[in-house]
Amino acid sequence: MIFFLLLLVLVTIAQIGEFFIPPLAWLYNTHIYLVPLIVFYAAVALPVPLMLAVALYAGILLDALTVQVIGNKVEISLGWSILLYAVLAGLMHGLRPLFVRGRWEIHAVLSGICTSVILLAQYLMITFRRGSIIFSPEVWWQIGGPGLIAMLMAPVVFWLLHWIAYVTGFGYLSERSRFE
Amino acid sequence: MSRTNFIALLIFGVILGYFLSFGAESTRKFQAGIYQLIAPFLSSGSGLQKQITSVRTGLKTLEQLERESAQLRVENRELRATNQALRDVEREVNSLRHQLNYRERSVFKLVPAVVVTRDSSTWWHTVTVNRGREDGIEGDMAVVTDEGLVGKTTTVASSISVVLLVSDENCKVAATVEGTREQGIVSGERVTSGLTPSLYLNFLSKQADLKPGQKVYTSGVGGVFPSGLPVGVVKSFRVRELDGQAQLTPAVDLSHLEDVFIVTGRK
Repeated sequence: MIFFLLLLVLVTIAQIGEFFIPPLAWLYNTHIYLVPLIVFYAAVALPVPLMLAVALYAGILLDALTVQVIGNKVEISLGWSILLYAVLAGLMHGLRPLFVRGRWEIHAVLSGICTSVILLAQYLMITFRRGSIIFSPEVWWQIGGPGLIAMLMAPVVFWLLHWIAYVTGFGYLSERSRFE
Repeated sequence: MSRTNFIALLIFGVILGYFLSFGAESTRKFQAGIYQLIAPFLSSGSGLQKQITSVRTGLKTLEQLERESAQLRVENRELRATNQALRDVEREVNSLRHQLNYRERSVFKLVPAVVVTRDSSTWWHTVTVNRGREDGIEGDMAVVTDEGLVGKTTTVASSISVVLLVSDENCKVAATVEGTREQGIVSGERVTSGLTPSLYLNFLSKQADLKPGQKVYTSGVGGVFPSGLPVGVVKSFRVRELDGQAQLTPAVDLSHLEDVFIVTGRK
């Protein structure tokens, strides 16, 4: 439970931290996202109810702090990010046995892909609202770039979270023997 | 599926449904609440970031600071004098307009604000500023600098507000072109590749034939942005199938915003 609460605190810190991380101008203004990595780690580390709680919390924060309300229109309704996080986290959770056995690299790659999927879904939603589909190289970079960066950061973030889980005595680490 | 998971999914579905049912007003209120909760962290984070940046850019010597201070004092005196002179002119103009039965032209009431954070998302161009409802800020108020238009306020919490930048595709500004009768709507790009975004002035006539360097100002149509605020400078002009479109360089450097003013009304 302590680990779960710590993950919620880390999601909050990461979401606030993202405000202060400047986009990478040399990579088509690519943003760096930390929250998806924590959510996807939670997906493989936590049981389903707690995983859903993390997805819910992270989704609410993301929507509350980024979605724009212009006049009487909301571009992406509050709640869509919750759904996206929950579905993608659910997929990751399905591969949990591999992670518990120590095969973290698949989840690191998947975290990057899922980060890009969130951005792609957001882009499709705003494109649907605003009209005129634009898919320039810049768009692809702004969707794929954060995913690539997330993939590169995943081993470090996963290692840190793994260490926190170990320090707090979180139970999933002991499940390894069950799978082996 | 275990019973616990089923119940968790059910509760999750209910909460998700509740959030998805939010309308524009409830979303705005909810966002304002969350922004207010994290406002202290954003402010302290911004302060910390500024301190780090100032250390990184290098400490100044006492001599440099004295020189800078003297320069600023002179500039301040000049500005005060100009301001006084302009106030006299304003009074005179208003008195003449009054005699001619024209409506008096008044200057804006401005609330100074500091940019706390820049946009954290890929698809929306926003900044947050350290002023909110407590300072008389409301939604849809124009935000400017001494160089020109920055954007408008959207979500407003008690002590913090979100400003939608003019470079966002959703920020539409009615504008006119200097020295012509051309009017159009300025909006930003959906995706910016560099740090300096471009603006687009749409719905111009095909015969507009704008030249690079011509200035674009707000026309005041729509009521959100007062007229006469510089929006940008024409970079290029092209004729499309139905209208003319000009590409603009924003009047304000939106990537290095620090201090802005929120137009809260007229004096």
